Amino acid sequence: LVCKCKYFTRICLERIREAMLHHRWQEAAEYMVFYPQKLEGSEIEYRQNRELIWRISIELLHHMPNSKLEDYNNIHERMKHLGVKIYLKVSLEQSFHLMLCGQIEEAKQLLAIGESWRYGKESASQHQTAKLIQAYRSLLDYVIWCDKKFTLDDTDDDSVTYQDMHSYFRQASVHLKEIFKNPGVWDPFIVSYVEMLEFYDDHEEALKILNDYAYDDTFPPNPNAHVFLYQYLKRRGASDKKLTKVLKVKQQIQKKGDIKKALGIVMDMLDFACWRKELEVWRSLNDIIGKLNSGLNWKDILSETVEPRKDWWPALHFTSFHAAQDSKENPELMKLKAPVAKIFCPGK
Amino acid sequence: MDDEYTSGFKEPCAQCCAVDWGLTDEGRFYCRSCHNVIERTKEVEDSNFNPGSSRVSTISSKKRKLKQERGRQWMVCEGFQFILMDQADALVKLGVSKHFKDEVLHQLWMLYLHRSQQAYTNTPIRSCTARPQTSDSDSAADLSVVSGSETDSEMFPPSRASSVTSNADNSDASLYASSVDGSTYRNQRGGTSHLMTMKKTLVLLHLGLVWARQGLTLSDLLRLVNEGHVPYVNTFQAFPEEMKLSGSDSVIFKVLKVPPYEQVHKETENLIGFLQLPAFPPISRQSLLHPASLCLRYLMEVNLPDDLYPWVCELMKFAQLDDVLQNRYDPFLHRKFPHYDVQAVAIIIVTMKFIFGLNDHVEWESSTRASQSPHSGRTFNLRRWYRLLQGAVLRAQRRRDNDAARKQWIPEKLLSSNRQAENVAMKRKRVSNELQSCFRKLTSGPSGPSGPSDGPVQPPSIFQFFWGDMDGADGPSLHRQNLDLLVTQVGGILKPTNEQYWHPALRDCSSCHDGGHYSEAEPTLPRMFVWTLQLFAFVLDLTPALIYREVLRVERRVLGTRTPQSRKHTKFLNVRLERARARLGAEMRARARLGAETRARMEAETKARVRLGAETKAKEGMTVTPQGQRKRKKKAPDGL
Repeated sequence: LVCKCKYFTRICLERIREAMLHHRWQEAAEYMVFYPQKLEGSEIEYRQNRELIWRISIELLHHMPNSKLEDYNNIHERMKHLGVKIYLKVSLEQSFHLMLCGQIEEAKQLLAIGESWRYGKESASQHQTAKLIQAYRSLLDYVIWCDKKFTLDDTDDDSVTYQDMHSYFRQASVHLKEIFKNPGVWDPFIVSYVEMLEFYDDHEEALKILNDYAYDDTFPPNPNAHVFLYQYLKRRGASDKKLTKVLKVKQQIQKKGDIKKALGIVMDMLDFACWRKELEVWRSLNDIIGKLNSGLNWKDILSETVEPRKDWWPALHFTSFHAAQDSKENPELMKLKAPVAKIFCPGK
Repeated sequence: MDDEYTSGFKEPCAQCCAVDWGLTDEGRFYCRSCHNVIERTKEVEDSNFNPGSSRVSTISSKKRKLKQERGRQWMVCEGFQFILMDQADALVKLGVSKHFKDEVLHQLWMLYLHRSQQAYTNTPIRSCTARPQTSDSDSAADLSVVSGSETDSEMFPPSRASSVTSNADNSDASLYASSVDGSTYRNQRGGTSHLMTMKKTLVLLHLGLVWARQGLTLSDLLRLVNEGHVPYVNTFQAFPEEMKLSGSDSVIFKVLKVPPYEQVHKETENLIGFLQLPAFPPISRQSLLHPASLCLRYLMEVNLPDDLYPWVCELMKFAQLDDVLQNRYDPFLHRKFPHYDVQAVAIIIVTMKFIFGLNDHVEWESSTRASQSPHSGRTFNLRRWYRLLQGAVLRAQRRRDNDAARKQWIPEKLLSSNRQAENVAMKRKRVSNELQSCFRKLTSGPSGPSGPSDGPVQPPSIFQFFWGDMDGADGPSLHRQNLDLLVTQVGGILKPTNEQYWHPALRDCSSCHDGGHYSEAEPTLPRMFVWTLQLFAFVLDLTPALIYREVLRVERRVLGTRTPQSRKHTKFLNVRLERARARLGAEMRARARLGAETRARMEAETKARVRLGAETKAKEGMTVTPQGQRKRKKKAPDGL
């Protein structure tokens, strides 16, 4: 019985979802002609649907052949001003889109407006988004700086361009220095900042930034940081000893990261019963554990992958039935499983 | 230059939708962007013609402008009157006779107003309003004056802007003009049960249709409302400019759902009691509301063979459901208002039970035999019919859901009670409208007319399925197939081959209102029977329980109310069954002829309606599909 408004909205959303999953964009758009009515419903409906409607609209615009930039801007502008919680998010996405379309200046302006926007108490998620806005704005400053640098070689009148470039550099550096204090993966930002610093011969600052980025423990382990440091040192003609030291650290981190990844993959495979009897898998697992034993923090890393499985792995792999079966059919498997079993069920 | 004349005219141009009007040399309005000239001419406001009254005319125009801003005073039942008029117009446009609107509906409405003492009475109920103006007594006087002049052909009283004199410039009226008694409508003395609601408009329409013996049943009416052919959701948007609404009115006029069948039916019974209506006019055999016509229609709808119709008629006769005088509805004698559509469907189901069995065994065996017979192409095969219908119903259900997902529920006009709420709502409405128009623009490009529209998505039709060989049909037509192997000829009389008939306990259960206990009985019923109930439930858009209840009722009339457990009465039951079968076989040939005639007549009428419908639609610029024959709305024959 199809006569209710609530039924309508449930069906409408279902149809939109189905159409989008199957990439039937035209059909989804036809239902989107009616779904925005939810914005005019009760307060709860409005809040639940606000972001959803925004994201669906933008996604559909990506896929419709006759969508124009002004459609995007229109929707972004309207949705932005609908509410406090959504403003920064939408600003950021809008600027990304403008960047994709090559409209760097407009994107930068948008981010600048977003930066200076203050409304009410800043929540935690807004704080994060605000940081991102700052970061990307600085990145755009760098992009414009690059453009200006490019024109530097062609024109005769350099002083104006130099001044322009310097002002962009200053704007960018102020914010980037702030940003780099926060733990995170800032690879592209780091690279651009270092490039600018090198241009102005501020090597002290560049080295400091790179070292902090590579060796700060609060930051997530990032082999790229060491790569950047290595490349910079190479450019500056540092001694081989220094270079190799950097590389070693990088390798260690990378190895750790790689091992962790490998451990994860092997464990994921063994989650499924079809790999239960594969010797190779168990062999690799033992190898990995062996490698881990030699490194640092092996207990933490191991427990990270073991903990979620502690409840059900014993039943999957290490019961007495399995033991009996393995000892009869596949004694080698049993040998391989034994050390792992010790980890999972220490009392056995 | 000519802006002073055209500035007041804000209609968008029909060709280019711009609002930019100028005046031609002859004084006609033309659109400055596309030069489309329209009929409107500049009003002769030349003050040279009446030099003495130039000052008067200025005063009155200022007043009129002010009145337009403030709106005039109007009562809630005036609003409903407007809505009813709108709905009745839509029905008449679909083919219902004018007699329904001009006489029947109007009389019912006047009677309602009289009985609920909202008008046409010497003691109109005035809800306590905070307004100290004199307008109340003005409008009350107006309404009672109108009752005296009923013979006026202008049945629904025209706008009374002229009668409201000096209230347009009341300075202490609230900023949000609304109906006079909107906020207090619900609190009137005498309780709320007889107040007008949006649901009651449907009730009144249904009553009017039944009284005028039009072929539009309640399930048809509700389906037309759901499809958007009869205005119901947001009808108040069509109110004239002077009638302004506000937040308190929205509670009364705004709807977020179309009421289900049973609710409207119950309210119809209540309203009949409230209005104390006399016996309804009898439903003659020729009328489209007669069970014979309704049964034929539903047989055609679900693609059952025409040869089944004579059996249906025999059963009707046997159960005395076709007797014109006996079945005349009299509120004082009959407790329950009949469900005309459900009754017709129940008769068909009982006939199917006689002929096919529907007990999960007999019908499949006979289908197998039919498919193995030499003339299997022309013999009706229940299995084939089941497969066809099952597919068609699934597709139709999907279509119905898709259309339900594309409905515009939110009105364009904003109704709100305070400034703050209005600002927020306005902002959201703007965003919503922006998004909607953006997607409308994106989807309407190359796809053209197949893009979504806010109006009704399908052309109105009394049939939901179309059977035939043409494009877009739901499946091949089984109407011309015969009932070989299902009926046998014994000494010149046709009898159903199936000799068994099953039924649940038929004794009338007085303890429950439902009378059917469908949910308890359903697991014990044969699956084919349940599926048939669900099929007709889909066609009529109501619950299978209702149909089940009506089937039991028909069976009671045919077979008596003895339960099958009692042995003594089993013999009686067998005798009655024999008699029933004999009667069913007896006048077969005569019935067959009559059935064919009726069907031919209906088809001829439908063709005529097609032509008429096509003309009307051509005027509106729509196209008629070539298979539109059976998809046209049927009109009641004139003179009923």
